[in-house]
Amino acid sequence: MNRKKIYPWYYAAGAAILFFLLCFLPGVLGIAYSFTDWNNFSDEIHFVGLTNYKTIFQGNSEYMKYVINTLWFTVATTVLKTVVGLALGLLLTQTFIKGKNLHRMIIFSPQVMSYLVVGLIFRSMLHPTTGFLNNFLRGIGFGGLAKNWLTDLKLVFPTVILVDTWKGMGYIMVIVIAGLLSVAPEYYEAASIDGASFYKKFTCITLPLLKPVLVNVTVLNVTYGLRVFDMIYSLTNGGPGNATGVINTAVYKEFSKGNLAMGTTLSSILFFVVLSLLYFIIWSMENKEVEV
Amino acid sequence: MRKSGKKLISLTLAVILAAGMTAGCNTGGSNEKSADNSGAKKNVTLTFGSHQSGLPTSGIVQELAKEFEGETGIKIDFQISPDAQWRDLIKVKLESGEAPDIICADTPISLVSSIHMDKYCAELTDQDWVNRLDASAKSAVSADGKVYGITFPGAKMYFYLYNKDIFNKLGLTVPTTYAEFKNVCQKIKDSGTTPIYEATTNGWHQVLPLFETGGLWLAQDPDIYQKLNDNKIDLDQIPALSTIIGQLDECARAGYFGDDYLSNAWENGKEAMASGRCAMTIAELGYRGEIDADYPDFKATEKLGAFVMPWGDNQIVGVNPASNAYFINKDSKYVEEAKQFFEFLSKPENLQKRLDGQPELSNLCWSEIKSKYSEEDQKFLDSLKKANVVQTSVNYIDSQWMDVGKDLESMYTGAMTPKDVLNSIMKRRTEQATLQKDPGWVK
Repeated sequence: MNRKKIYPWYYAAGAAILFFLLCFLPGVLGIAYSFTDWNNFSDEIHFVGLTNYKTIFQGNSEYMKYVINTLWFTVATTVLKTVVGLALGLLLTQTFIKGKNLHRMIIFSPQVMSYLVVGLIFRSMLHPTTGFLNNFLRGIGFGGLAKNWLTDLKLVFPTVILVDTWKGMGYIMVIVIAGLLSVAPEYYEAASIDGASFYKKFTCITLPLLKPVLVNVTVLNVTYGLRVFDMIYSLTNGGPGNATGVINTAVYKEFSKGNLAMGTTLSSILFFVVLSLLYFIIWSMENKEVEV
Repeated sequence: MRKSGKKLISLTLAVILAAGMTAGCNTGGSNEKSADNSGAKKNVTLTFGSHQSGLPTSGIVQELAKEFEGETGIKIDFQISPDAQWRDLIKVKLESGEAPDIICADTPISLVSSIHMDKYCAELTDQDWVNRLDASAKSAVSADGKVYGITFPGAKMYFYLYNKDIFNKLGLTVPTTYAEFKNVCQKIKDSGTTPIYEATTNGWHQVLPLFETGGLWLAQDPDIYQKLNDNKIDLDQIPALSTIIGQLDECARAGYFGDDYLSNAWENGKEAMASGRCAMTIAELGYRGEIDADYPDFKATEKLGAFVMPWGDNQIVGVNPASNAYFINKDSKYVEEAKQFFEFLSKPENLQKRLDGQPELSNLCWSEIKSKYSEEDQKFLDSLKKANVVQTSVNYIDSQWMDVGKDLESMYTGAMTPKDVLNSIMKRRTEQATLQKDPGWVK
């Protein structure tokens, strides 16, 4: 097979060189800097070995909290967005729904808004006394449910996750719909003739055929979740205190403090986590597809 | 049929897109040309980066900039960022070479822990206006005897402003100790009013009680600031600081800040005070003028009195000789034009306009302009003992101001104890000092 290649390797050389210079090399350099004491205040850079990594993983460091927050955010948003996106996708491909395109457009629209705008709008909507949500809850007689959404330690993270899900689910829905529409209707017809229920059709036809789409969706969600920054920054600025800080808000903070080496260390960790998780996700899901 | 229709549509769209691109190119080209033809002075736009609190809310600086544009044709484009993010943002921008032409930043700039504006900004020592600036203000914008910035506000002093009507109605007197203060708060709370307006979302307001009470530190040891800078003692050896952190926690738990202080923004403080929803807040005397401008019916200047923050039984008002100042980015293409703008701002008539047009400002650091303090205010100020605030004298405090704000937020939510807050402040000082190879820390 390899010997019959139509194009010689150097056809790809241009792209490969560009990729190497602009993506690969800076990435490797970044990782290299994480083993130094690079900072704003001195022109000399010394090799310090694993000191920066030790600071992050040692004892009770606040960095560890950011790592855990990031993972928690990723898992929760990935699951929620996939489930809600899939449900909406299924619903909005049914024949009995009228004005499907309008519904799809409305649900998709938060995706095109900037994170900053969404963050600021939700910040004012979720204000405990003057915000829309609490006023609405009080108005319909559910005053007891009016909470400090963005300042209560128990609620703030779920709130951020829900806002992010609200913003991102439309995107997932659109991808799922595209996947659903590509499934040949004959399968469903045949299943109907055999007397399959909706649930049976969903588990035996829709899900297996949607698997490649769901793999993509998961990859997208996981990479987004691990790299999240703007949503958190605009909604809570990592607060109250540091309760909603994630890796990237910490990277930003370290860079602004002038501790550049610590910033690159944190981003390197993020890089390794993303890489290994993605490899694992793609590997496990593709494997199963073969079994089916 | 359908296919050809689609083809037609996509072809039309492609043509429109291509036309749009060339149209864009054309206008860009002609703009450039006109800029070339009309000379360098005209059509220059200076970018002016600032945080919300860096520019007066009355918009007087923008008005002055418009006048300047009328005179010289040089436009000023204001780019305003939220308070909580400015310090981080400007550091990143300066470091990456993307900073605006004119930068508004906090002073003093000569502390080891300040943003090193002298490294990034043009020197202004030879400008004519430099010698008219008050000495204390001049030193705040200087490093190694060279002047780098221009500043306008006079010395800052923060007090508790209180609603005299509420105090009279409840038969309260001005507290001078923490015990009295708590008592006053409890009585106001019992009457159904929120005792103190606090706003933590801006990140800076809640930190004031900690470091504006430097008088207590100096009472402990007159050389304490120097000793801290030499790392001979640390913050946990200053009882006043840990006491005040503990007291803040106690008051928050007792509900003296109300229910929403963690969601409140400082911008809404005026409304809270003018509506009588809250009885006290930490602000400068000039804040009354700001309330007057927005809520003239309330008559804030008459109705709001002031007393020294009684945290830790403090009775000495903290004086901050420094305020925010404007600097010129050394790498800007338009350094001369920016200098021209500073020259314009420093004209006596424009200084007067600034003072008149900025209700919250009571005096300028330009002695030729008479202050706005009433006789009563002046008498009150003269009667007070004064001491320099901590953040302008001790290293690595001002640079972590916003982080301390976050720590206090954590304390209020219960995620940190007062002791954790203190430890966190000390840890950050050590971290910053070590990073900067401060001789007091790194042997």
